Amino acid sequence: MAEAILEVRDLHKHYPLTQGILFKKQVGAVKAVDGVDFDLAAGETLGIVGESGCGKSTVAKMLVNLERPTSGTIRYKGEDITKLSPRALKAVRRNIQMVFQDPYTSLNPRMTVGDIIGEPYEIHPEVAPKGDRRRKVQDLLDVVGLNPEYINRYPHQFSGGQRQRIGIARGLALQPEIIVADEPVSALDVSVQAQVVNLLDNLQTEFSLSYVFIAHDLSIVRHISDRVGVMYLGRIIEIGTDAQIYDHPTHPYTQALLSAVPVPDPEARAHRERIILTGDVPSPANIPSGCRFRTRCWKAQERCELEVLLLAVPAVFRLTDSPAKHDSACHFAEEKQVVPPEEPQEPQEPEQP
Amino acid sequence: MLLEVRDLHVEFHTRDGVAKAVNGVNYSVDAGETLAVLGESGSGKSVTAQAVMGILDIPPGRISGGEILFQGQDLLTLKEDERRKIRGAKMAMIFQDALSSLNPVLSVGEQLGEMFVVHRGMSKKDSRAKAVELMDRVRIPAAKERVGQYPHQFSGGMRQRIMIAMALALEPELIIADEPTTALDVTVQAQVMDLLAELQRELNMGLILITHDLGVVADVADKIAVMYAGKIVEQAPVHEIYKAPAHPYTRGLLDSIPRLDQKGQALYAIKGLPPNLLAIPPGCSFNPRCPLAQDLCRTDEPPLYDVTESPVPRTSACHFWKECLHG
Repeated sequence: MAEAILEVRDLHKHYPLTQGILFKKQVGAVKAVDGVDFDLAAGETLGIVGESGCGKSTVAKMLVNLERPTSGTIRYKGEDITKLSPRALKAVRRNIQMVFQDPYTSLNPRMTVGDIIGEPYEIHPEVAPKGDRRRKVQDLLDVVGLNPEYINRYPHQFSGGQRQRIGIARGLALQPEIIVADEPVSALDVSVQAQVVNLLDNLQTEFSLSYVFIAHDLSIVRHISDRVGVMYLGRIIEIGTDAQIYDHPTHPYTQALLSAVPVPDPEARAHRERIILTGDVPSPANIPSGCRFRTRCWKAQERCELEVLLLAVPAVFRLTDSPAKHDSACHFAEEKQVVPPEEPQEPQEPEQP
Repeated sequence: MLLEVRDLHVEFHTRDGVAKAVNGVNYSVDAGETLAVLGESGSGKSVTAQAVMGILDIPPGRISGGEILFQGQDLLTLKEDERRKIRGAKMAMIFQDALSSLNPVLSVGEQLGEMFVVHRGMSKKDSRAKAVELMDRVRIPAAKERVGQYPHQFSGGMRQRIMIAMALALEPELIIADEPTTALDVTVQAQVMDLLAELQRELNMGLILITHDLGVVADVADKIAVMYAGKIVEQAPVHEIYKAPAHPYTRGLLDSIPRLDQKGQALYAIKGLPPNLLAIPPGCSFNPRCPLAQDLCRTDEPPLYDVTESPVPRTSACHFWKECLHG
């Protein structure tokens, strides 16, 4: 793997639960993120998938320092950004930008598109001198596929897909190295999603960006990611390259998650094995002991209740060369193919949007 | 035929003009059958369903033409109190967002029991027993203890089960499910869709499933109606449509699903945006975004062509359906 541009180690975010009005007593904590480790290499896309409440968005917020971690480190080029002075943090933040999920609420309705995209320059004037900003914003609009003449329009004059392009342009304004995209396409219509995914793909090549791509749509994550991490209740429970995770998952939760995704092929109905999990995700305020997935796992035994397993290559695969040799936090890790192999179809000419 | 919608037109009068949300929709559902209505936001799929249920906001909405035949009876000619007897008892709806569809200040038991009190004239006590029975049926654990709880005390998946229980309460003949799993996580979505399919089989209900998710459709539907700008552009049995779509819009949607063998390539993307309903383009409404569009498409509105090639009928509203089907 290329050199890591971002190293996340043992990241925790606990939100205290208090009781009483005047003398607040802590009675527990919502453990939204509870020990997350990963590396992001330069130019790479790391996909993070998981169900709602698993902590994936909290991780995103901590990466851009919108939330302070309870403990753990986030190293950007070797420097721990959780412990920087405000001045040093400002410089680092320029390089890590975010694209938000909801293009309807993440743009200020009273600001013009030019003001929205140009606002980062107010905070980092060294990137663009004052007289140059309008031209820079117009360039950015052009880059994300919007007409540069729209610079004086307001967000409500755009469709959802166009607004997301504005959000992306704002993320690009400071020429960052890392973009953290939190569900960037899930609020968009199906026919528009592909346009935005393609745009993100092209921008990555053009500006050699690294992406942390957070989503719950597994097929889009697979399309865009080099590596994929699967989160459950505040932890990454399996991580590997996209082929390792999708074709050779070894953690039961990953297998269940993949098998539950509806396949857009009616022929697959008959020969598809689906693992239907029972129950709901436990509350992050009350995480089960041992393996946190054991309450819904069909393989769970006494051992899973007692021992906490760290994310590592399972012993059974350690000496093999198989693609199942990747980090997975399960005592009983075994391979299981859950995504039906696809028949190759005749290639089609991709159309440029 | 259980339900037949014929040439339905719905428009909304807004400050900026008349928005034509539904422009001549025809579809039908039989008992035990699942029809999936597929479309993007603004395609008119939910408005059609609301017109069938009789819960359209009038005004600003207005049904400007067509018939909705339910068991042979035109619902649009009925008086409101007659419709109310059908709604809930014979046809019921499941909404997308269970949290905002349930009343937060009434316990789920009261809300479920209300169906029996209003439609069947049951006493409060009996209706509560019925509510427990229903909750058991949709597999909510500890139904007896939870019947007095309020919606916020349930998880998203459980709330959607309560919505399903409420819709099934009076064993209706038709269920309309408007994006029933969109707000749910995939593992919970699988549970809820399974439950819905099982209950449908058990009660031999007709199901109209409104969704934008091509995966969900492939999993459960018998036939599909694809909607675009207030019209059905293609209607076909599920296997045929995925194998060979006969409308460029359907083809575009299917092609834009990320596929394994396309990793590293650009995804196919339908260019442009869905049309503004205040100004639907003349001719075929899809023509500005269509790769096959020719002059004919910009002037002449395509009729629904019969494109049947197998025993099951299918239709497509494209002048060049042959090129699309075989090209």
